[in-house]
Amino acid sequence: MSSQTLDKLPVGASGTVLDVAGEPALQQRLLEMGVLPGVEIKVVRFAPLGDPMEIKVMGYSLSLRKAEAAHVTVERA
Amino acid sequence: MTESSTSTRHEGHARHDRHAIALMGNPNTGKSSLFNALTGARQKIANFPGVTVEAKIGTTRFENSELTIIDLPGTYSLAARSPDERVATDALLGRIDGTPKPDGVVIVLDASSLDRNLYIGTQVLEFGLPAVVALTMLDVAESRGIKIDTEKLARTLGVPVVVVNAPKGVGIEELKSTLHRTLHHPGKRLELSYPDDFKRGVDTLHAELCDLGVKLGFTPTRPEALRLLVDGAGPFFDECEEVGGEEWTRKFFEIRDRAAAGRSLSMLEAQTRYGAIGHWMREVKQAEAREGRTRTDVVDGILTHKLWGSLVFIVVMGLIFQSIYSWSGPLMDAIDGGFGALGDWVGGMMGEGALKSLVVDGVIAGVGGVLIFLPQILILFLFIAILEDLGYMSRAAFLMDRLMSRFGLSGKAFIPLLSSFACNIPGIMGARVIEDRNTRLTTIFLAPFMSCSARLPVYTLFIAAFVPQMKLLGFLELQGVVLFAMYWVGVLFAIPTALVLKKGILKSKVTPFLLELPSYKMPRPRAVGRVLWERGGSFVRRAGTIILAVSVLVWAAGYFPRSAELDERYDAEIAAAEGAFSEVVVSFDPEADSESTLAQFKAIDDAHEERTSELEGEETEVETATAESDKQREAEIAELATKHPAAFTDYENWQKLEEQRSEIENRRAGEHLENSILGRMGHVIEPAVEPLGWDWRIGMAAIASFPAREVIVATLGTIFNLGGDQDEESQTLREVVQNATRPDGSKLFSLATGLSIMVFFALCAQCAATLAVMRRETNSWKWPIASFLYMTTLAYLAALVTFQVAHALGA
Repeated sequence: MSSQTLDKLPVGASGTVLDVAGEPALQQRLLEMGVLPGVEIKVVRFAPLGDPMEIKVMGYSLSLRKAEAAHVTVERA
Repeated sequence: MTESSTSTRHEGHARHDRHAIALMGNPNTGKSSLFNALTGARQKIANFPGVTVEAKIGTTRFENSELTIIDLPGTYSLAARSPDERVATDALLGRIDGTPKPDGVVIVLDASSLDRNLYIGTQVLEFGLPAVVALTMLDVAESRGIKIDTEKLARTLGVPVVVVNAPKGVGIEELKSTLHRTLHHPGKRLELSYPDDFKRGVDTLHAELCDLGVKLGFTPTRPEALRLLVDGAGPFFDECEEVGGEEWTRKFFEIRDRAAAGRSLSMLEAQTRYGAIGHWMREVKQAEAREGRTRTDVVDGILTHKLWGSLVFIVVMGLIFQSIYSWSGPLMDAIDGGFGALGDWVGGMMGEGALKSLVVDGVIAGVGGVLIFLPQILILFLFIAILEDLGYMSRAAFLMDRLMSRFGLSGKAFIPLLSSFACNIPGIMGARVIEDRNTRLTTIFLAPFMSCSARLPVYTLFIAAFVPQMKLLGFLELQGVVLFAMYWVGVLFAIPTALVLKKGILKSKVTPFLLELPSYKMPRPRAVGRVLWERGGSFVRRAGTIILAVSVLVWAAGYFPRSAELDERYDAEIAAAEGAFSEVVVSFDPEADSESTLAQFKAIDDAHEERTSELEGEETEVETATAESDKQREAEIAELATKHPAAFTDYENWQKLEEQRSEIENRRAGEHLENSILGRMGHVIEPAVEPLGWDWRIGMAAIASFPAREVIVATLGTIFNLGGDQDEESQTLREVVQNATRPDGSKLFSLATGLSIMVFFALCAQCAATLAVMRRETNSWKWPIASFLYMTTLAYLAALVTFQVAHALGA
């Protein structure tokens, strides 16, 4: 299985988070919201203008910008 | 540890059993409805100095104890990157003046996403305050196949768990009784298994912080030491650095590096918390793997769909804009008319003089000037409350974020800015939906750049007076094009302003746009009603006083000093005019002498006036109806005149006299205004406004319009001796403006002057209500003052360039 950043995942793809990086405030926010290594996530959709994206994580829907998702590495299921 | 504090802190009160309870939890958990169910109408908004978020405080009773409930802003974590996020911790520890120190805490957890909700739960439980968990949305969780064993949850967390459904009133009494019990038998502090070197780091830092305690003015707790160690930044860090100096900062980072040992502390914290939560959930939660989409998924499939979602969005936004812009009209007219009538009625009972003018033109007009904004505010918040309750607000932000992020804003800034085109005030108030402090402040600062409906009278007057009626490219009405351009002037200046703000003073390294898209819920009328009541009330109480004060101040500047000599001169002139007429004509008062024959003539004219003033529709129809009414009037007058020929002559003379009197009165008002402080200010600033193509009269009118832009129209009416009741569509005012001259005989206004005034009013911050609301929403005078100075400068320069360029082009 290949690992790639979250923003590159297509709609409907799911996987397990491998790493969360980024500037400290962003990294901390992502982690707090439940995007942390070992957690399963799924890409639900992209906004009509192409950004941001919506993911399912820990049973809820989270919207984040692609630039932010680029700091999340995912192992695709 | 808190048992004793509850009884000592409230000494001096007759009741010995009073407790303060903090309500904490994620946004969208039903925390507010729980607060409302607990406290009912007994609530007020707590003022937190220096921050832009607010909390609500309410009271409730249980048996013979009184509970003060503090509803803190919903948040996902106690990590504080800005003063706004620090509020939760400060309030929890009782460090905010005027807000009681909580003796216990209710942690509100949404059962349908319990894992994420427990994150802040663990943070709060580490403080060791007596705590009760209020578990909400259990029905939503069950509908998704999630089963929660509440007894196991209570055992695991070591605190009581009460299932509540606030809208249905379920669990409220049980929550109160559980709270009551818990306050007297506090539970134990939550201990998570952090790595040992991290724990040592927290202990070392805690010791250091306690040493710093004297200088800080409070004793920091261990959970705060943990927060500081992990966050390594934020308002608490700044505070420590300020009192501790370089030496402290050096020591801090030494401790932090040792504790981190090359790891990311945020990662360590999150993994420890979510690790524990995951472990607990295996015991507590049973999730049936349910295939198929939830109702929210289905609705989202439409509402965030590329085509359908965008269409719905455009329709909803169009509806909001249309309603604020035009549906509020009748209500605003009613308020305007009501206060006008009230002013006339009160004025009619008072003698001429300063007191009457103060009451009618200062106070009543000022109160009217406050209430006139209510319809727009209430309509916008009706939409915001429904959409927020429904869960659509975050979808709207999701749809618009791409566009708004180009200007350094977030998707949530869209609705406040769109509403600002109708009125800046609800726009600024609407910015509270933006969680991020810097984005919120930027949005508030930008709102006044959107061309609100109060600018329209200014545009209407000057466009009608100076922009020729002609077509561009054969179909575009030039006047319409100019009006359209005026709306874009503000936007054009707002964009660079936004970029500069976000890159400069309001820079946050990144503003993460992490937004929960909550599940859709039916809006609850009571919750919506409550929002309207709160917003409306808060505007009237907090901004209203400032607006009223400014109105009275500007009234005084336009009224004083009052020259008695001037009044005598005009009184003499009126007496001279009256001298030419008989006693009957001079003393005729249509209201007092309503039985007289003169009054019958007057009644015919009044009826004609009434028939024609409200005519609407096609121009030709109006003309026909007017001509018909005129014919009817002629006939009635003629009939009456044959019966009473002498009275008819008197009536005609009375009309002439009335005309002369009102002309003299208008001149009197004009000269008084020129003489007043305001008029003198106009003369003082004349050299400064000269390059804009203005004279002292326009300068003065601009100053007088500080309370509200549209006042310029009435002020111009007074100064050009037309009386103050002019409106932008008045034919006479338009003509007077077109023909007004300077002392040397040259035309005062030209197309260039008109454009320069319009540009100035498009960009200036001439609206006391906006500035007052800005002060209220940012909790600081800094922002409204900055906004006023910045926008006035910008407006001046833009008007200067406009006039000079247009003048050079021969306009």
